[in-house]
Amino acid sequence: MTDATQSDTVFRPKPSLPPPANTVGAVGWLRKNLFGGPIDTIMTLLGLYIIYQIVAFAIDYGIVNAIWSADTYRECLDRNRGEGACWAGIAVWFNSMMYGRYPDEEQWRVNLGGIVLLLWLIPFWLPKITGKIQIGMSAVLTFPFLGAAMFIGGEFGLFLQVMASIALTLFVAVWLHVASTYLSGRSLPDLLVSITGFANKDDRLHKYVLLGAFGVGFVLSMIYLGSWELVEVPTTIWGGLFLTLVISGIGIASALPNGILLALGRRSKMPVIRVFCTAFIELFRSVPLITILFMAVTMMPLFLPVEFNPPKLAMVIVAVCIFAAAYMAETVRGGLQAVNKGQYEAAQAMGLNFWKMMALIVMPQALKLMIPNIVGSFMGLMKDTTLVSIIGLYDILLMGKAAGQNPSWLGFHTEPLLFTAMFFFVLCFAMSKYSQHLERTIGGGYGRR
Amino acid sequence: MAVVDKAGPRKDARSFSEIVNDERYRSVFYQVIVAIAVIWTANYLITNTAENLEARGMSAGFGFLGSTAGFSIAWSIIDYAPGDTYLDVYLVGIANTLIVSFFAIIATTFLGFIVGVMRLSKNFLVSKLASAFVEVMRNVPLLLHIIFWFTLSAALPSPRDKENQIALFDSVFLNNRGLYVPAPVPGEGFQFVVIMALVGIVAAYAVAVWATKRQFATGQKFPAFWTGVGLIVGLPLATFVALGAPLTFDYPSLQGFNFRGGADVPRAFCALLFALVLYHTVFMAEAVRAGILSVSHGQTEASYSLGLKPSWTLRLVVIPQAMRAVVPPMISNWMNVVKNSSLAIAIGYPDLVAVFMQTSLNQSGHAIEIVAMVMLFYMTVSLTISAALNYYNKIVQIKER
Repeated sequence: MTDATQSDTVFRPKPSLPPPANTVGAVGWLRKNLFGGPIDTIMTLLGLYIIYQIVAFAIDYGIVNAIWSADTYRECLDRNRGEGACWAGIAVWFNSMMYGRYPDEEQWRVNLGGIVLLLWLIPFWLPKITGKIQIGMSAVLTFPFLGAAMFIGGEFGLFLQVMASIALTLFVAVWLHVASTYLSGRSLPDLLVSITGFANKDDRLHKYVLLGAFGVGFVLSMIYLGSWELVEVPTTIWGGLFLTLVISGIGIASALPNGILLALGRRSKMPVIRVFCTAFIELFRSVPLITILFMAVTMMPLFLPVEFNPPKLAMVIVAVCIFAAAYMAETVRGGLQAVNKGQYEAAQAMGLNFWKMMALIVMPQALKLMIPNIVGSFMGLMKDTTLVSIIGLYDILLMGKAAGQNPSWLGFHTEPLLFTAMFFFVLCFAMSKYSQHLERTIGGGYGRR
Repeated sequence: MAVVDKAGPRKDARSFSEIVNDERYRSVFYQVIVAIAVIWTANYLITNTAENLEARGMSAGFGFLGSTAGFSIAWSIIDYAPGDTYLDVYLVGIANTLIVSFFAIIATTFLGFIVGVMRLSKNFLVSKLASAFVEVMRNVPLLLHIIFWFTLSAALPSPRDKENQIALFDSVFLNNRGLYVPAPVPGEGFQFVVIMALVGIVAAYAVAVWATKRQFATGQKFPAFWTGVGLIVGLPLATFVALGAPLTFDYPSLQGFNFRGGADVPRAFCALLFALVLYHTVFMAEAVRAGILSVSHGQTEASYSLGLKPSWTLRLVVIPQAMRAVVPPMISNWMNVVKNSSLAIAIGYPDLVAVFMQTSLNQSGHAIEIVAMVMLFYMTVSLTISAALNYYNKIVQIKER
C-alpha cells in the first residue's frame, strides 16, 4: 500500500448539476405557487380577473370620477352622474363625524383630552420605564374623571373635582417619573427620597415622603382645577367619533378588571358567589347587545328613584360595561383553565395567599395565553359600539346618516358609510397586527396551541 | 411549670385572628356578605320599580299580551293582521328572526368552508385573495355592513323598470322592493311525498347503522352513503312521479306597479341576509382553517404508511380530527348569527327586537315584561345550542386513559 495508489483511488465527485431552471427563481416560484396545474392556472386567472375588476372599480369610483370639492350633493351628482364618490361631502361633514354637535370653539378640549391620554400611555412603549402596570392602572382608573371634567366642563361637583385632581397629579407624576428616569437614571420615588434626604433613613419612612409629595400635588391640582372656567357642554350634544371612543374606551378599560373578578367568582369554591357570577355571565352573554341597550334605556329609569334621572349616555355606558365584562369573563376563564394545576399548587406551597397567587403567578400566565382573545374582544367591543346609534346616540355612524338627511346633502349616504368602514378597518386591523406582535414578544415561550 | 389542661384546648378560647383566618368561617362570611348585598340591591330595585310604576299609573303583569296590538307588520312568514294580540306579535317576531337566521346559518356554513379551504390553498393568489376578504369583512362592524348593503340595494331597479330587471329564468326577480320567487303549491297527495322523504331518511340511518355493525363484525364494507342518498332522494321522487307530480308553482308576474303572486321577501331581508352571511362567513372560515391546521401532518403520514389511500385518509383520519376543532367555534358562530340578526332593527326588517322590543314596548309601555320575554327567547336559543355543544364535545373529546 503506497500513498500514490491511495490518492489515485480517492473518490472525487463531480460538482452537482444546478437544479432545473424552471424550479428555481421567479419562474420556479410562479410554477409552484400560481401555475401548478390546469386547475391552479384557471384559479389564478380567475383571481387575477377578480382583482382587476375590484381595483379598476375602486380607482374609477374613488379617484378618477370622484369629486373633491363641491357645496351640495346635487352638484356632485351633476358633475359625475353618481359614477364616482363625492369626497367633497366628507370634507364638509368631517368635523361633525369627528365631534358630533360639540361646539366648534370648544373642540380643543376634546383634542387636549385625547392628547393627555396618549401622553399618559406613551411610557408604555419606552423601554427604560419601570412600574408600567402602575402607570396603566393610574390611567385607566383616573383618566375618565379628568376627561369628564374637561369634556363636560361647567360647574362640576366636589367629587369630580377631587377625582380629576388626583388624575392630574398622577399624570404629572408619570411624566416627572419619565423625566427623572431618562435624566438622572433613577425612578421618581427614588429621586424624591434622596432629594428630601430620607435616603439613609428607615425604608418604612419613605412612603411618607411620597404621600407628602402627592398631597402637595393634589392641593395644587385642586386649586388649578378650581380656577377652570369651562363652558358646560352637556353629554346630549356629544357625538361622532368622539362619542364612539368615549363609550368603547370606558367599556374596554372596565372590561378587564370586571371580567377578571367575574371569572374568579365563577371559578370560586364558594357556592353563593359562584352561582351569582355564573348567572350574571350566562344571562348577559346569551342575549344580543341591542337588547341590553334597550333594557338600559327603558328599564333603568324604572329601577332608579324618580329624582335620579341619569343621562342616556350614562345608561348606555353602564350597559356596554356589563356586556363587555360578561364576555371578558369567559375569555379570562379560558386562560385560567389553561394554566397548569401545578402552578396553583406550587404557589400555595410557597405560602402565597389567594390574591397573591392570582396576581403574581396565575394571572400573568393566563392573560399572556389569552392575548389574542382579549384583543379580539376589544376589537369586537369597538365594533359593537356602533349599536348605540340604534337607540339614538349620535355616534360616528348616525352622524354619517344625519349628513344624508341635510337638505343640501340629501341622499349622501354611501360615502359616509365607506369612510366609517375604512376608519374601523384601519383601527381594527392595526389592533390585530399589534396583538400578533404582542403574542410574539411577551407571549413568547408559551407556545401556540 | 406548665399545667396541661385536661380538657384540651378550649373551643371558646380561640383568638379572634384564628377565627378570621379560618378558611371555612371566612368563606361563609364572604358568601353572607355577597348574598346580603345582592338581596338588598334587588329589593332596592324592586321597590323603586313599584314606586315608579305606581307614579305612572301602570300595572305590572302579562295581561297586556291578550290585548290587541293594532299595528301592522311589514312582512311576516306566519299570518298576522293588525287586529291580533301582542302575543301574536311576539310569535311573528320570533318566526321572522328564526327564518333569517336559518338561511344565514346555512349559507354561512357552506361559504365558510369554501373560504377556509381557499385560505389554505397552495395557490398564492387564491390564498391571498381569501385572506384579504377575511380581513376586510371582519374588521368592519356588522351594523355598518347591514346599513351599507341596505343603502346600496335601494339602487336596484324598480319593479316597473322592465329593461333593467334582474331576473332568473323569468321566474325569480330581484328589485328594489325585494326578492320574488315562485311559490310551491302542493297538490292532492303531496303529503305522501313528504312522508316518503321522512321514511327515506329513517331507512338511510338504519342502513348506515347496519353497515357499520357489519363492517365491525366481518370487515366487509357496504356502500352505505350512496344507498342512503338513493333512499332519501329516490323514495320521494318515485312517489312524486307515481302520484303524477302533484306540485305546481305560483309564478310572480308584474301587474300594474308591482309583482303579484309567488312568494316574496322584502329588500331589508335580502340586505340583512347578505350582510350577516358576509360577516359571519369570515369567522366560520377562520374556524375551518384553524381546525384543519390543528391536525398534525404526522397523522396523514401515519395513515399513508398504514396503506390508506388519500381519499380514505382525508375521510377517516383528517376530517374527523379537524371536526373536533371546527364544530365548537362553528356552533358558537351560529349562535352569534341568531343574536346578530337583532340588528335588523336598523333597516326596518321586522324581527323580534324590532316588532316586540321597540314597537310593542313603545305602544304598551310594559318595559319589564317585554324585555324579560325577549331575553327569555334569546336565552332559550343560546342555552339549547350550548347544551347541544356540550353533548357533542362529550362525544368527540379524546378518550384518554
